[in-house]
Amino acid sequence: MDPVLVVFVYGTATALATGLGALPFLFVRHVSPRMVALAEAVAGGLMLGASFGLIVEGTGYGSWQTLAGGAAGVVFILLTQRVLAGRELHVGEARGADARQMILMVIVMTVHSFSEGVAVGVSFGGGTTLAAVITIAIAVHNIPEGLAISAVLRPRGVSVARCAGWSVFSSLPQPAMAVPAFLFVEAFRPALPYGIGFAAGAMIFMVLVELLPEAYEEAPKPAVALLVSLTLIGMVLFQQYL
Amino acid sequence: MEPTLVVLLYSTLAAGAAALGALPLVRRGRIPVVAIGWANALASGLMLGSAYLLISAGLAYPPWIGGVGAVLGIVYVWFTHAAAGTEELDLNQLEGTGDVYGYKVLLVNTLHSAPEGVAIGAAAMVSLPFGIFVALAMAVHNIPEATALSAILRSRGVRLDTAAALGVMTNVTQVLLAVVTYALVSAAPGALPWALGFAVGSLIYLVLSELLPESYRQAGHTTIAVLTILAMGAVVLLGDLPR
Repeated sequence: MDPVLVVFVYGTATALATGLGALPFLFVRHVSPRMVALAEAVAGGLMLGASFGLIVEGTGYGSWQTLAGGAAGVVFILLTQRVLAGRELHVGEARGADARQMILMVIVMTVHSFSEGVAVGVSFGGGTTLAAVITIAIAVHNIPEGLAISAVLRPRGVSVARCAGWSVFSSLPQPAMAVPAFLFVEAFRPALPYGIGFAAGAMIFMVLVELLPEAYEEAPKPAVALLVSLTLIGMVLFQQYL
Repeated sequence: MEPTLVVLLYSTLAAGAAALGALPLVRRGRIPVVAIGWANALASGLMLGSAYLLISAGLAYPPWIGGVGAVLGIVYVWFTHAAAGTEELDLNQLEGTGDVYGYKVLLVNTLHSAPEGVAIGAAAMVSLPFGIFVALAMAVHNIPEATALSAILRSRGVRLDTAAALGVMTNVTQVLLAVVTYALVSAAPGALPWALGFAVGSLIYLVLSELLPESYRQAGHTTIAVLTILAMGAVVLLGDLPR
C-alpha cells in the first residue's frame, strides 16, 4: 500500500479511537452539579498528565521553542475566552458559562491534536515498519482525551453519541496533519517543539483557568485534589507503558 | 564539599528564605487579600514545575515504582490533613476565625514542608546541581508561602519578628527531611525512584488541596492561572539547565 495512504488510514483510526472515551458515560444516569465538578477534576488530571508527557517530548527537541509554544497556547486560550465572553452562547440546553466551557474544551482539544498529528507524521518519517505500534499507542492514548471531553460535555446534557462524535472531531487534525508532516518531515520537524509546547500550554492553562476553579466551587477540596492528582499520575504511567 | 553538607546548606537556605516572606508586612501592617492569592499562585507554579522536573528525572526508572511512590505521597498528605482535621482548612482567613485557627495554620505549614524536603533530597541524589536547583525553587516558593502565613499571624496579633521566625520554623521539617532522604537514598540507591515518586505525588496534592483552591477566590481565575503557569514555565525552562 502507498505509505501516504497508510499514514492517513492509521491517523484516521487513531481519531476514531478518541470516540471510545465517551463509552463509560453510557453507565452514568443521574448527573448532579457535584458530579459535573468531579468529572471536571478527572478531565483536569488527564489533561495535566498528558501535558507533562508533551513537555518531556517537546524539551527533547528544544526547551526555548517548547516554552515559546506554551506561551502562545496560553495567549490563544485567553483570546478565545475573550471572543466567547461577549456572545450569547448556548449548546443544547446549556447556556452561559457552561456553554462557554464546553465550546472551549472542544476547541482546546481539537487545536492540541494538530501538533499530535505532526508528531505522528514525523515519527512515521523513519519508515512505516513501526507504524502499527505507533498507531496503537496513539489510538489508546487518545481514549482518555475522549474521556476528558465527554467528562465536560456529558454532565451538561450532551448525549453519549454526540460526546463520541465531538471526541472524534477533536482528533480529526491528526490524520489531516500526519500526512503533510510525513511527506515533508524535514520541513515539519523544526516546528514540532513549538507545536508540542502550544498543545501543552493550552491544555494546562485550560485546566487552571476553567476546570479547577469550577470543580472547587461544587465539590470538596480533598475530593477534587485526590481525583486530579490520581488521574494525573495514572495518565503519566499510562503514557509510559505505551 | 561533602554532598550531604551541600544538601544541608541549601535546604537551610530554603528554610531561611521564609523570613523574607514577612518583609511585605513591614511597612503596612496588612497586605490586601488578593496579594495572598498571588503569593499562593506563584508558590503553586514553582511546585508544579518542580514536580514536572522530578517526573522527568523519574522516567529513567521503572514507571510503576514512581507511580506507587506518587500514590503513597498523595495518601501521606491526604492522611495528615485528615488526621489533623485540617482537610477543609482555608489558609487565607484574616478575620472571623476561632482561637485554634492560627495553630492549625502553623501545623499545616509544618506538615506541608516535609514532602518539600523529600523533593530536595531525592533531586540531590539524581544529581547535586539538580538538588540545588530544586532547593532554590523551594526557597523562592517559601517566600510567598511565608507572606501568607505572616499575614494570618499578624492579623491575630502576633509580632512581626515572631511571625517571621515562625515562618522559618515551619520549614525546619524541610531541612530535616532533605538530609534524611539524601542519606537514605545514598545508602540504598534502589529507594531513589520511590522517593522521587513520593515527592511528585505529595507536591501535586499539596498544590491542589492547599494552595490553589482559596487563591482562586482571592484573586480571580485568570490572574491565578496566569501566575501559576508563568512560575511553572520558569522552573521547567531553568530546570533543563543543570541536568
